Amino acid sequence: MSSQSGDGLTRRSLLKAGGAAATMAALGGCVDDVARQVGFGTDRTATPIADANTAFGNCWMCCHNCAQEVKVTDDGQVIGITGVDGNPRGSAGPGTEGTLCPKGLAQLDKTHDPERIKQPYIRVDGELQEATWEEAFEYTAERLQEFDDEHGAETFLDAGSWAETPIFRTIWRDLYGTPERIGRGVHVCAGPTFVAGGMMGVGSNNRIPDYQNSEYLIMWGRNPLEAFAGQFEAKGLLKAIEENNATLVTIDPQYTETAEKSDEWLPIAPRTDGALALAMAHVIIEENLYDAEFVENHTYGFEAYREAVADKTPEWAAEITDIEADKIRQIARGFAEAAPQAGISIWTGTAQQANGWKASQNITALNGLVGNIDRPGGLRLWKDTPTADPFEVCEWTPDDKATSETIQGVDLPNNAAGKEKALHKYDEYNEYPFRHVEGIAHNLVPEMVENGHINGIYCHHDMPLKDGNADAWMEALDQMDLVIAVDAYWNGVTRNADVVFADATQLEKDTIGTGSWSAYSEHQWVIGGKAATEPQFNTKSDWDILIGIAEEMGWGEYFPWEDHEEFIDDQLLELDITLDELCSGEENFELVGEYGYEQWREEDGPAFSFDLDQVPPFVQAANEAGMSTVPDWQPPGTYGDELSEAYPLEFFDIRSVFFSHGSDQGIDRMLDQFAKKNELDDKDYRGNYLHINPVDADERGIETGDMVTIESETGSGELMAHVTELIRPGFVTSEYGFGAGSAQQDYEGMNTMKLHAKQMDPITGQPDRHIAVEVRGGV
Amino acid sequence: MGEQWAFYFDTDKCIGCHACSVSCSQRHGRDSDQDEWRTVKNVTTGTFPDVSSLPISMSCMHCADAPCEKVCPCNSIVKREEDGIVTVDRDSCIGCHYCGWACPYGAPTYDDGGIMSKCNMCLGEGPGGGHGMPPREEQEDGGSTPACVDNCVGDAIKAGPVSELKEQASDAAMQAFAQEPANIIVEADRDGDNAFPYEA
Repeated sequence: MSSQSGDGLTRRSLLKAGGAAATMAALGGCVDDVARQVGFGTDRTATPIADANTAFGNCWMCCHNCAQEVKVTDDGQVIGITGVDGNPRGSAGPGTEGTLCPKGLAQLDKTHDPERIKQPYIRVDGELQEATWEEAFEYTAERLQEFDDEHGAETFLDAGSWAETPIFRTIWRDLYGTPERIGRGVHVCAGPTFVAGGMMGVGSNNRIPDYQNSEYLIMWGRNPLEAFAGQFEAKGLLKAIEENNATLVTIDPQYTETAEKSDEWLPIAPRTDGALALAMAHVIIEENLYDAEFVENHTYGFEAYREAVADKTPEWAAEITDIEADKIRQIARGFAEAAPQAGISIWTGTAQQANGWKASQNITALNGLVGNIDRPGGLRLWKDTPTADPFEVCEWTPDDKATSETIQGVDLPNNAAGKEKALHKYDEYNEYPFRHVEGIAHNLVPEMVENGHINGIYCHHDMPLKDGNADAWMEALDQMDLVIAVDAYWNGVTRNADVVFADATQLEKDTIGTGSWSAYSEHQWVIGGKAATEPQFNTKSDWDILIGIAEEMGWGEYFPWEDHEEFIDDQLLELDITLDELCSGEENFELVGEYGYEQWREEDGPAFSFDLDQVPPFVQAANEAGMSTVPDWQPPGTYGDELSEAYPLEFFDIRSVFFSHGSDQGIDRMLDQFAKKNELDDKDYRGNYLHINPVDADERGIETGDMVTIESETGSGELMAHVTELIRPGFVTSEYGFGAGSAQQDYEGMNTMKLHAKQMDPITGQPDRHIAVEVRGGV
Repeated sequence: MGEQWAFYFDTDKCIGCHACSVSCSQRHGRDSDQDEWRTVKNVTTGTFPDVSSLPISMSCMHCADAPCEKVCPCNSIVKREEDGIVTVDRDSCIGCHYCGWACPYGAPTYDDGGIMSKCNMCLGEGPGGGHGMPPREEQEDGGSTPACVDNCVGDAIKAGPVSELKEQASDAAMQAFAQEPANIIVEADRDGDNAFPYEA
């Protein structure tokens, strides 16, 4: 685990130099010769895409499963990629065009990208060395045995996220026997959104309203026209505007593509979302615009809620949020009057702040108040597609018995049984209220490594260095005794790993995608993809990598499937379809079940809770955090940073349509488009940008294109300034996933989380990405 | 003379995602750092908080009275009678850039070995693709869908014979279309904003 950094010439700058030389030669010499030499002559018969074979895929760039149609030559080159009409995640529904977003299209580049990790590596004498697959599996098994003997398997952290196969959970929990696991969702994406929604009775469905049936949509700290979880979000939103004449409201301190398409843009003061939500509730209750029947018969805790908002007038909120009181009244009335065909979407924007719990609870409460719960156009209780557990349903014949008898199911051990997670086990973590609610927190992992409670990690499709306390994580990776990485690109994790498994990318493997929300409001669905081409270079699919580890560890008997397709077919038994059937024909998706609205009528108890005093883990955490159980106002700084004279600007990191989860920053085409979007493509720089209002930039002598230093109390970094009127004065942002540790070969730009110390939401441990900073020019 | 083809762009539906320009480059085998045949720009105006940032996707407009065709000394550029698509014969093009200077939209590019290349409405694939090809066919008759149209996330870009596009267009858009040389029908957004015709 020696630290290595990326540097040197990038492929991009080499290409640039090459292109310039070719142009010079062309202008100075014989044009026809040059054109022929570089292969740019006219071939009027060439229509390679039209002549290629068709295959289907299941986009994994952001892991949200937009269906792909790809064109592949006979020798396995993927040369064309597009969407599948009518597919649940990448269209607006039946009869509509299916597409891929720019990062989805970049899967074409990624498949054959020469910058990918091309083969396995193992660390020998402190250096990563090329290895055969056999050597890598043997090395891994030996190290895992030693690790268990020395530290105990329970100190190994499973950080597999969004993998194309679920068996990593089986291997690390059931077989290796560790109870420790971290994913990106609750722990770094939007803990308060997920958990508050769950406790209030709506799960994490407060993220995705029933767009297409809605007449009033509030995008609260969200920008779904750029940062969508499947293109159906953007398409559904546009459809609601076009077909329902829906009113669109965006609440965001930065002007986004979603704000551009909105009827109202409220450039709210950062971290004051909770106050705005309380004032909206005040108006809705005072003016009797709420759904009294729903509130009385199907909710819990309304009186406490009513009391909590009694003095939260629009005038009170106007002072805090910087939104006029009349505007607050207008939005509250518009939302309530359109209900139940009115929805709110929240996700990361209102959750990645230390007072994000109350922001999320206060906003989510508005849904219960207007009675839009699981009603058309409101907060939809999206239903997952059921799949079978292959370990239960598989039918197989053991090799080692002299019988052809077929056995059903695999008798998996539970080697993690009885093992307690470090967060619950050790007194060192008693100061963290979230230990009552969660099993781990991203920002605590470095501390757990320091304490010897976590000593190794399996990191797969998971980029921890872009979230939370990045510097401490980098040290923690150094300190861990065993780091196993599965990835397609070199980054801060793979460069510091002991074993690097070169992962094939999605078009090189069999996959299925299921989920809940989609363009189909009343259907469950499944999308399938069969490998369009062989694993490129000397890579393997994650299924084959995990099976390789399992076999070397002596767990081969637990995996009786010939290949991933057989495993997937067992998952699909529940739906009475095979992967092959799913991918044959004109499209690669199926609608598999239908469900209606108002599903809460089938459940006992209230459909919705305003007050969470009946949820014991929350009550314990809230007591320790000094927080009430009802919707309430927590000013910025109650838990997170306060702005000061030394650090007068508020920083927050944001997303771009070109990148997802920090995993595709290495793709040149996306970096170039990102630079074009910011009109800075004439610079060589391909890092992230610091978006800053001219008021703040002028004060500091900063102009667009300048390299600037941004500094918080605990960290700093350099990046290029983008001075823009599209951001609130006093607020600065930058795209996350760049700089130190990123998937970009030269680590260009800044790792925004170098500014972060350990600020967290006390209830879920969600890293707080609002940081008090100062910006200086003249780097 | 066959019916003229045109592009259609609905400002209200463009979300500025660049899928059109990415898919265009991919369809025509163009590297990321080569000049684009289709570009997306946000036209940003105003002062916080009264701002606007209108995304615009543009390519060769296949102008009715194509100025590039007129200035080409080698007659390499053709405004095709059969479908109105403007193509270039790269075998006779000498890379003089006259078309680039004449074009109000910056459509011609020259980084394919110094010879001009630009949008051919996906009549063919690659630089020079489309020149000398049979008349443009609609998708249902076996013609390819232009990459930008096929991959537009917001369904903002369309291409087809003018008579078909007309049926979907508003009166205001058609009036503007009649007055502009560019062979593109553009819908303004809900606020009435319309950044076309837009010089590069």
